[in-house]
Amino acid sequence: MSMLPILFFILIVIGGIIAGLIGSLTGLGGAVILTPLLVLGFNIPIYYAAGASLIASIATSSGAASAYVKDKITNIKIGMSLEVGTTFGAIIGVLVAAALYKANDLSIIFVIFGIALLFSVYPSLKKIMLRNKIKNIKPDKTTKFFQLTGSYYDEKLKKRIRYHGVRWWYSEIIMFIAGIISGLLGVGSGALKVLSLDEMMRLPPKVSAATSDFMIGVTAATGTAIYWQLGYIQPFMAGAAAIGVLSGSFIGSKFLNKEGNGFVRMLFLIVIIALGIQMLLRGFGVF
Amino acid sequence: MDPNKIMGNILRYGSLFSILLILFGTAMLFLNNGANNYTLKQIASHDSEVSTNGISASQLFYGFFSFDGISYIVLGLIVLIATPIMRVIYSIYFFGNQKNRVYLLITIIVFFNLMFAIFFIPYIL
Repeated sequence: MSMLPILFFILIVIGGIIAGLIGSLTGLGGAVILTPLLVLGFNIPIYYAAGASLIASIATSSGAASAYVKDKITNIKIGMSLEVGTTFGAIIGVLVAAALYKANDLSIIFVIFGIALLFSVYPSLKKIMLRNKIKNIKPDKTTKFFQLTGSYYDEKLKKRIRYHGVRWWYSEIIMFIAGIISGLLGVGSGALKVLSLDEMMRLPPKVSAATSDFMIGVTAATGTAIYWQLGYIQPFMAGAAAIGVLSGSFIGSKFLNKEGNGFVRMLFLIVIIALGIQMLLRGFGVF
Repeated sequence: MDPNKIMGNILRYGSLFSILLILFGTAMLFLNNGANNYTLKQIASHDSEVSTNGISASQLFYGFFSFDGISYIVLGLIVLIATPIMRVIYSIYFFGNQKNRVYLLITIIVFFNLMFAIFFIPYIL
């Protein structure tokens, strides 16, 4: 396949914009959508696609997360304390990925990627179906020790919301798994992170989403160096992907109403499910 | 100074600066029809051999002064990766300053993991 360089560049940027838009609307981050787009759509080898997506997820995390950090919706302490698990996990995940790539055993990567994509739909589906029915759990020992309390100003409700996190250890274990997946597949693992913060720690959805975004940059940066050294980051593709995903997530967060658009979100979730099935099929050698 | 503001600014300006470097590098790549002794066609293909693997620090240095496209993109990528690391370093300073021992230790562990992954693991692989 030979393509005009400028066309190749534009296609990756457009792919990135689509991934960034879908990512910011569903709260999943763009990388998990970008990799299958690059692999299935443009026939890019999966290690280059994963490298580019890892770079793109750092760009979105830093770019999109900065506003939430400034507005104090992100809980910096909770994010930092759980990054202990994600960075440990990322190191292990990247080492496994390197071993699989070296053995040229790509089918496992495709299968795990397919499962991760299908799974990533779960938190969003649940949110659409159940509409935020979170039961409060009383503060536990970890709430006090790890200082898991906070508050933020809710623009919509026009009042300050106080909250506290619980079950830090369970949350940390899920974050460790999220880190492994992040390093293994070159994604941000936003879905698992949100699950850990929402379901385990019981943080308000807004705080979960912002804190997950905040954590993705450090998790992805941990894996990047090893991808870099092994030559899995192609500067031209990674640069184009970063530009695309960052623009897409910016457009998504600025111009689209996150609370509404139930139909659009449902449509995107179907796209993600379709991509997941395709990755699974590719892993099983069906196509 | 508000720590959230400082951290938000580190993330915002770090990612902005890196995207500008990447955009400039990509523009130079197209203007010069290639970079670093590779043609544009070799760089911009789906199974290109040009990767971060073969780029040395001295190449980046010379590339910077000769407006080499790939060097600028790679510098942009380095700034991008350094951005979240900078905010971890700032956190160490902040929690140290606040005498918050639990979080000083936590941020140091995260920083250690990052440094271990960046400077140690690649050389044992």
